[in-house]
Amino acid sequence: MTRILARQLSKKKIMTNDGKVIGTLKNIMVDDETGQVIDLIIHPDSSFDTSGYRLEGDKLYINFDAVKDIKDYIVVDRYLSKK
Amino acid sequence: MRKQITEMFGLNVYTEKSIFVGEVEDIVIDVDGKKIESVVVGKLNPELVDIKNYKGLKIPFRIIGSIGDIVIIRHLPGAFKSEEM
Repeated sequence: MTRILARQLSKKKIMTNDGKVIGTLKNIMVDDETGQVIDLIIHPDSSFDTSGYRLEGDKLYINFDAVKDIKDYIVVDRYLSKK
Repeated sequence: MRKQITEMFGLNVYTEKSIFVGEVEDIVIDVDGKKIESVVVGKLNPELVDIKNYKGLKIPFRIIGSIGDIVIIRHLPGAFKSEEM
């Protein structure tokens, strides 16, 4: 079971499982009643093609269900991360 | 209610008997379970917890009552030394 401290995640890079870097983590959206982690809020790299992704302003949202693993990078599934 | 995780940092933590516990310093996330596992509380109330032995407390999410402008945790009999009084 992987447990991580939220502060260790700040400014971590997000990568898809086909090796593309999406950007850097800005924040995490949680439900404060159930404790469920809902979304990653990402600042996308300027070179990253954001079409097909959920954008709010300049921030890109990825559902936490897409997260495969968190080590040096946060790896997300390239299909599940689009919505 | 949905909120960004950084909004929780620095919130004061009280028990439901309105005893000050400390301040939220960090949050432990269970990546596989996709949920908050516990809340790390620092700047502890010295009357409640013996600071010599602890740098901070990890409070499991299941004993957290609610999170708003402050965090309220359930009162645990015997968990804190001040309850002997």
